[in-house]
Amino acid sequence: MTLALEVVDLVKHFGPVRAVDGVSLTVAPGEVLGLVGESGSGKSTLGRCVVRLLPVSAGTVRVNGRDIAGLSRRRLRPLRRDFNIVFQDPASSLNPRMTVGDIIREPLRLHRIGTATTRRRRVDELLDQVGLQTDVGRRYPHELSGGQRQRVSLARALSAGPTLLVADEPTSALDVSVQAAVLNLIGRLQADLGFACLFVTHDLAAVEFLAQRVAVMYLGVLVEIAARSNLFSAPRHPYTQALLSAAPIPDPLLQRRRRRVVLTGEIPSPVNPPSGCRFHPRCPVAVPECARTVPPLRPVGPARELVACHLVHDDGSGPRLA
Amino acid sequence: MSTVELVAADELAATRPAIGARRRVMRRLLRNPLAVGGLAVVVVAVGAALLADVVSPYAYDQTDFGAALQPPSGSHWFGTDELGRDQLSRVLFGLRASVLVAVMSVALSMAVGVPLGLAAGFYGLVDPVVSRLTDTLLSFPFLVLAVGLAAILGPSLTTATVAIGIAQVPAVIRVTRGETLRLRGLDFVAAAVADGATDGVVLRRHIFPNAVNALIVQATVAAPAAIIGESVLSFLGLGIRPPDPSLGVMLASAQPLFRDGPWMAVIPGLVIVAVTLGLNLLGDGLRDALDPREAPR
Amino acid sequence: MKPPLLTVDGLTVLFRTEDGPVLAVDAASFDVAEREVLAIVGESGCGKSVTALALTRLLPGSASIGGSVSLTGRSLLSLGESQLRDVRGRDIAYVFQEPMTSLNPVLTVGRQIGEVLRRHQGLRGAAVTRRATELLDMVGIPLPGRRVGEYPHQLSGGMRQRVMIAMAIACRPKLLIADEPTTALDVTVQAGILDVLRDLRGEIGMAVLLITHDLGVVADIADRVVVMYAGRVIEQAPTEQLFAHHGHHYTHGLLDAVPNPARHAEGGLREIPGRVPTMRSSPDACTFADRCGSADDTCRTARPDLAPGPAGHLVRCWHPLQPANAVLPADIGEGPR
Repeated sequence: MTLALEVVDLVKHFGPVRAVDGVSLTVAPGEVLGLVGESGSGKSTLGRCVVRLLPVSAGTVRVNGRDIAGLSRRRLRPLRRDFNIVFQDPASSLNPRMTVGDIIREPLRLHRIGTATTRRRRVDELLDQVGLQTDVGRRYPHELSGGQRQRVSLARALSAGPTLLVADEPTSALDVSVQAAVLNLIGRLQADLGFACLFVTHDLAAVEFLAQRVAVMYLGVLVEIAARSNLFSAPRHPYTQALLSAAPIPDPLLQRRRRRVVLTGEIPSPVNPPSGCRFHPRCPVAVPECARTVPPLRPVGPARELVACHLVHDDGSGPRLA
Repeated sequence: MSTVELVAADELAATRPAIGARRRVMRRLLRNPLAVGGLAVVVVAVGAALLADVVSPYAYDQTDFGAALQPPSGSHWFGTDELGRDQLSRVLFGLRASVLVAVMSVALSMAVGVPLGLAAGFYGLVDPVVSRLTDTLLSFPFLVLAVGLAAILGPSLTTATVAIGIAQVPAVIRVTRGETLRLRGLDFVAAAVADGATDGVVLRRHIFPNAVNALIVQATVAAPAAIIGESVLSFLGLGIRPPDPSLGVMLASAQPLFRDGPWMAVIPGLVIVAVTLGLNLLGDGLRDALDPREAPR
Repeated sequence: MKPPLLTVDGLTVLFRTEDGPVLAVDAASFDVAEREVLAIVGESGCGKSVTALALTRLLPGSASIGGSVSLTGRSLLSLGESQLRDVRGRDIAYVFQEPMTSLNPVLTVGRQIGEVLRRHQGLRGAAVTRRATELLDMVGIPLPGRRVGEYPHQLSGGMRQRVMIAMAIACRPKLLIADEPTTALDVTVQAGILDVLRDLRGEIGMAVLLITHDLGVVADIADRVVVMYAGRVIEQAPTEQLFAHHGHHYTHGLLDAVPNPARHAEGGLREIPGRVPTMRSSPDACTFADRCGSADDTCRTARPDLAPGPAGHLVRCWHPLQPANAVLPADIGEGPR
């Protein structure tokens, strides 16, 4: 089985800022991998590197087995049929001077797929799939609401039939009720069309709804990858535990009864990450070893899930913070 | 705007109904009395210039020594000059020359400046090269440039157009480069790249169409400067030369005769002021109307 | 029972815009008790931010404000501008969403806090620095003595927001109005800010009016909740009661839209069809009727009043949900897949 996405030791530096510092992950065909992290984690940078919107400093990115990290832009272009991305901000992700129909049609035109007639039909088909009426195709972005614009973005990204979609915070700029609609839509499209999805977000609830596996990033590196239910019911890495603990649950009885993990300090600058385990200065259970050596991302437990922590044992057991 | 007003404005912007952007701009423009005034003046001036052949009561070089140096009257609304030529006709044809120079010089500056600005904003390696070029152009005072060109090409309407056009190029480059840099960072450009667009497609379909608004504003700033520029150059003998009509030439020939016929200088001068002011007001109004923020009340 | 600290009665805000009038707030009425945390929730366009700004007339000239707002019995909307300026900062303080743009980048943190102290408390010189350092300590900033001399760009987002809070509480205001104070912050940082607000409430004895769209934040810190929709207050209840026994269909939709594995075992989040409307006037109907699955002719032709509903708290609905219907099943289990 060829993986939809295989990232090996990806590194992306912006000068002194080490935004992504050695990340490896995989996404199987038809799978949704959630990638969560806070600001400075490098998750958005990773997402953009995966679709080669940013040149990669080092490492490999294989989409359907083809390494796209080292390709020239000319050779890369035809391969772009196979992967695409939707962005966070509905206000700036659509060209204000193009009609919705033209926007959706763009990948078909650029990759010379079909004829004028078949393209028009495909646009109508896509509009229908994302829950918009066909006359929306004649409208301009400013006439649409945020939720509608995100639907158009999805239609555009999926029009050439990619096998991999990167979704970079697709719902973060939307109202709660609209978020629900868009999340539902992504779930439905993913089930119907079968594309693999790298779902980048800081919203844990959205990830829990949509993803099968979840990867957690902190300051440019991965700290944990696990199956969704395992990650949420029994997080292993101290940062994952703190993250889950900090996200408030919309249920006052539960929320006020919870015991919370309180982290000290703030996220350090990616220019000068801490030595050893990057999380150690804020970790409530750090030991001297944590400052000395970098913990490798290694498989633990019966399900062979990945954690990067010195205090987690091979059988999967480890510190429980709260 | 204060933070507070911004908060309220954002909430209001979310409620704005879906009127076409162009219609909204027109509406805002028309609601501004100064802009409307400017627009009216410009329309009259351009109309007169285009229709000079038809509207002008006399030919611009038609002499009538019997009617020389006459103040404004029924048969000569703007009076006559020392050769008996009808001033109104000369003003109309002079306006035509001014409009021609304004349009052609702006077109020239755009034709040269827009590609350079796009390249500078898009390609980091090209940027410093273009900046040096812009600095070089800016280091020549306008008149020195014009004198130099007149020496090479001989004074004419073309010389004036080229001189003014070149003088405008740095501004066009600056505006285009600025817009390119801004637009480059927007998500829809990244989406185009992800869709498989080449640089050419990105610049043509995504960046340039969205930079047009700023260029329109630039044109409305450049046009009045061009009109004044042409008048100055012709006045100094570096542009249009008599007997060809030009407001600047009229001013030059009216200068020694000011005591005999002040209308010969005042009227062309007023026309220059009126057209320039009109263009400026229209430009200001357009800039405000194109601004996505709510108009202050 | 003590009289409420803040009484808002029939607050109406009408904006004159180039597209016509916009009724941003439609006769909103609510109280804030002393030391209470009241949350106003709603989605964008519901009028919650405009309400917060209207309380001390912090709106642009195009806004007409009607109704009454009283703080400890004193009417605010009828005060002159200079008297209102005294109220702002001293009795009522604000904290906004964007700490990045709320602080002056060329002044040190200490000087900016000092500005408030100088204006309202007349402190000078070393006393200002001392008090500023104290305030930074109160909001949980480590090494406050050093931070007082630092510039905003040297601080992280969470710290800047704490500085904003320090500035806000400098004069021990009776009411702190926080408009989406944690929306722009990371989740781990947000938790800390909410802790600060909670602690300060006890230490200073101030009330907090919290504007937010995040129901998790509401569940965490609010005592009572006001739900707004299209400019109207549509439900008001103590927090636990709102979550468990809400009456309004919009509240139900809102709660159901948040992914919560305990509730979404069947897959699919509940969507509310349609969009939040822009109100130009106050219709004699329920503003949610055209999006509500249970609306009938009464809902479309008569404006419901804010009245006690089946669970006891105020709801603006002709057919509010019964407490039994409103409870969302809470069996903890697998998510939708």
